[in-house]
Amino acid sequence: MTPTGAGFTGWLEATAAATAMRQSLWLYPIVEILHIIGFVILVGSAAMFDLRLLGLSRQLPVTGMERHLLPWARASVLLIVPTGGLMFVAHATEFAGNPAFRLKLLFLVLAGLNAAVFHLRPFRQVAGWDRGAPAPLQARLAACLSLALWTGVIACGRLLAYF
Amino acid sequence: MLTRRAAAIALVLHGVGVVPVGAHHGWSGYDATKEMTLTGTIKEAGYEHPHGHVRLEVPGRLWLVVLAPPTRMESRGLPAAKLRVGGKATVVGYPHRSNEDEMRAERITIEGATVELR
Repeated sequence: MTPTGAGFTGWLEATAAATAMRQSLWLYPIVEILHIIGFVILVGSAAMFDLRLLGLSRQLPVTGMERHLLPWARASVLLIVPTGGLMFVAHATEFAGNPAFRLKLLFLVLAGLNAAVFHLRPFRQVAGWDRGAPAPLQARLAACLSLALWTGVIACGRLLAYF
Repeated sequence: MLTRRAAAIALVLHGVGVVPVGAHHGWSGYDATKEMTLTGTIKEAGYEHPHGHVRLEVPGRLWLVVLAPPTRMESRGLPAAKLRVGGKATVVGYPHRSNEDEMRAERITIEGATVELR
């Protein structure tokens, strides 16, 4: 719906990109599709890595999985962030005040921090549990948290259309 | 399709509008047990994502009528040009559960042609 916002979000809604998102027939669905492809790769990579940390497919080296999945996860962000930004500016005021959207952003930040802490702490000692051994508790906790937070991000992303 | 200038003017007009624009939402936000039919004059039309809308003036009330995504309306024979400001429209739909004067249209009839919106 045509936005009514004032201030910064109102300005965002009046930009050419936001107007095109609302009024061009196919831009919005195309952007949505690219956003979904992006987060499928990101959350899929994270989930498969998390399941390995939780003890599935223990014969696969954790470092090998990390080398394969992390570049895809990083690249997917290049698809997710611009498309997400375009959807946001189309209805910036509405999204900014939407509780599901705010919760989604909070979960995103926490998921990012969780991944950072994992790489800075337990992953430093991965040589000791790379293959055929259980990951330390801290790594398994990070995996559980990651699965929960990404599920929350997706749930909030879908639900923000209903609030 | 609106030109950019028309879009800017529409944006300003929205700013002084009396009916607040709510969130977009699924059908669950509307009470399907209270089917209603409104006939009135289109005071404003938005052929926009994620859902198009018209503000329909019926005697004594200005309704915000939420329509379907523009892609669906286009494919079902309701191009933007048919949502003409000043034109007449009849909509069948359901009132919003909490937003007064907002309804979601199941179908819309303009110039004798009915288009299903769900």
